[in-house]
Amino acid sequence: LKSDAGLAYATIETIADGLSSGAFSAQDLVEFYLDRIARYDAGFHAFIEVTADRARDQARQIAATRPDGILAGIPFASKDMFDVSGVATTGGSRVTMNHIATRDAEVIRRMCEAGALSLGKLNLHEFAYGATGENPYFGTCPNPYDRTRMAGGSSSGSATAVACGFVPCAFGTDTGGSVRAPAALCGLVGLKPTLGRVSTRGVMPYSWSLDHIGIFARSVEDAAVLLETVAGLDPEDPASSNEPVDDYLKAVRDGRSLNGITLGVPRAFFFDHVDPEIVAATEAVIATLERAGARVIDVAFPSMEHTRTVSLTVQMPEALSYHARYLDSRGDLYGDDFRAGLALGQCIPAEHYVRAKRLITDYRNHVDRIFDACDAVVTPSTPVIAPRLGAVSVPCGAAAEPVGNAITRFTSFFNMTGHPAITVPSGMHSAGLPIGVQVIARPFEESLMMRVAATAMTAIPVPDFETDGSHGAIAIDPSSPDGALGVRRPHIEHIAPTQTG
Amino acid sequence: MASRPGEGKTPMDPVSRSTLIGMGRELIGHPMRDADIDELVDPKLGIITGFQALLDQLESLRRIDLGALPPAQGVRRRPREECGS
Repeated sequence: LKSDAGLAYATIETIADGLSSGAFSAQDLVEFYLDRIARYDAGFHAFIEVTADRARDQARQIAATRPDGILAGIPFASKDMFDVSGVATTGGSRVTMNHIATRDAEVIRRMCEAGALSLGKLNLHEFAYGATGENPYFGTCPNPYDRTRMAGGSSSGSATAVACGFVPCAFGTDTGGSVRAPAALCGLVGLKPTLGRVSTRGVMPYSWSLDHIGIFARSVEDAAVLLETVAGLDPEDPASSNEPVDDYLKAVRDGRSLNGITLGVPRAFFFDHVDPEIVAATEAVIATLERAGARVIDVAFPSMEHTRTVSLTVQMPEALSYHARYLDSRGDLYGDDFRAGLALGQCIPAEHYVRAKRLITDYRNHVDRIFDACDAVVTPSTPVIAPRLGAVSVPCGAAAEPVGNAITRFTSFFNMTGHPAITVPSGMHSAGLPIGVQVIARPFEESLMMRVAATAMTAIPVPDFETDGSHGAIAIDPSSPDGALGVRRPHIEHIAPTQTG
Repeated sequence: MASRPGEGKTPMDPVSRSTLIGMGRELIGHPMRDADIDELVDPKLGIITGFQALLDQLESLRRIDLGALPPAQGVRRRPREECGS
C-alpha cells in the first residue's frame, strides 16, 4: 500500500469497499497513513500528536471482531480541542500542554464505537481563535495546494490532514467558520450541522453559544455517514438536541433530483467584493442546481455590515470567561493574538454582550422568514482564495479588510443563527487554489442541505490536471477514484520526505 | 414615547492608550500587557478589528431599538406548517 497515492485521496466509501473485499486490512490502512504522515507532515504541521499505538490497538481489535458498518477500520483524526482518553488536549497552546484527557469526547466515543480508528490530534489556531490558522508554537499549516498560502483556520490541521491524504476524514470546531473556511480553501467538503445537532461534550470550549462540531471529508456522502454517526442527543450535553437523526446517506443517494426545491440566492453582500472567479464558480453551481430541477429566487438578508462585530462581541467575553482560569497563572504562555483578543473581551461592556445576543435573535427571526420562501440558500464560501502566509489584510473594494474577517465573512453569520451549512468545492481558481460554495438550510434539515450540496459538486468539470503545489500542472487519470470525484488533489508526493515548510 | 437609544447623546471621544492602561489598572481583574493594549489601539496581527472600530460599530448597534426581544437561546426545528415554502 505504501506507494498507492490514489488510496490516500480516496473516499471513505472507496476505502470501506477495499476493507470489506479483503484488498487490505485495517492494520494495513493504519500503517499506510502512518507512513504518509511520517514522510510528509514535517512540511505541513497538520498533526500535534500521532496516536499510533492507540490506532494499532484499535485496528487489531477490528481485525479480530470484524464489526459491521462502513466506518469499521476507517482512520480519522480530530482537532486538538477534542478529548481523547490518555492524550493531551493542548488546544494548540502551551497553556494547556499537560491537560491529559481521562475520557473520550462524545464525538470520539461515537466514532470509535462505530469501529473508526483515532489516529491523532490535529493542529489549529491557538484555542480555535483565528481564521488564519497561524500557530507560533506548533507551526503554521501551509495550504497543500500552494505552500506559500494559508490553509485557513482555525481547524487548519484538520483541513491540511485530509487534503494531504493523511486521513480520509477529520473533525474540527466551527465558531465563525473554522471548519467551512479552511475546507473551502483546501478543496474539501466542510459541514457545520445545526446548533445542538452534535454534542460538544469533551470538546474544549471557545465560545459556548457559537461553538459547533464540524466535519471534514472528501465527498458529501462521506460527510453524511460521519454526521449520522456523531449526531443525536447526548444526555451529558445540555445544549444537545433530541431531534431525530435522519438517514443522511440515503437522503443524499436518493435525492439528486431537486424538483420542488427552491433555492435562495442573496445577491447583496454575499456577492459584493468577491474574487470574480469565485463569483463565476458560484454562478456555475447555481446553474447546475437549476438544471437539476431547483427553482432559484433572490433573497435578502438583514444588514450584514455589523454581523462580524456582533459575533466578536459574543465570542470574546465567552472565551475570556473560560480562559480566566489560566490567565493569571499562565498568561505569559498565550500567543500574542489570542492574548490581545482576551484583552478585548475584558473591555466589552456587559450590555453590549447582551445586546449582541438579542441581535442574534433578530437575525434568526429574519432568516426564518427567508426560509419561508426557499428551502436552501447558496452563497460563495469565502470571498477570497487562500491568502498568502503572513498576510494581515486583503483588499476589499477600495479598503483593506483584516484577513481573518475576510476568510469568515460569509460563514460567521450562520454560527449565530445556528442554521446548518456546508461548503463543497466549486472549482479551481486560475491561481491553482480551490474555490468553495456554501449551502445553508433550515435547522435540522441537513438531509436536504446535503442533497443540494452533492448536486452542487457535480458542477465541477472532471479535472484534467492537478496542481503540484507551485502552480504547475501534472496530468492525472480522470478515471481514477479521486479524479472521478471531480476534485483535483494537491499532489504533495513530490515534496521530499521530512522537508519542513 | 420612548426615545431611541443614543438619541441626544454627546458623541464619545476616541479611546486612547492611556484610557486602556487606566482600565487595566483600575477596573479589570486580569492583567493586560503593553503588547495587548498596543494591538487593541493599533491592530497589526490581522485577526481582530481595532478596539476603536469595534466601539464605533457597537455604538451603531446600540441605536437599534430591539424592543423587548430576548437574547438568543437554543435552535429548534420549525414545524412544516410554519414554513411558507
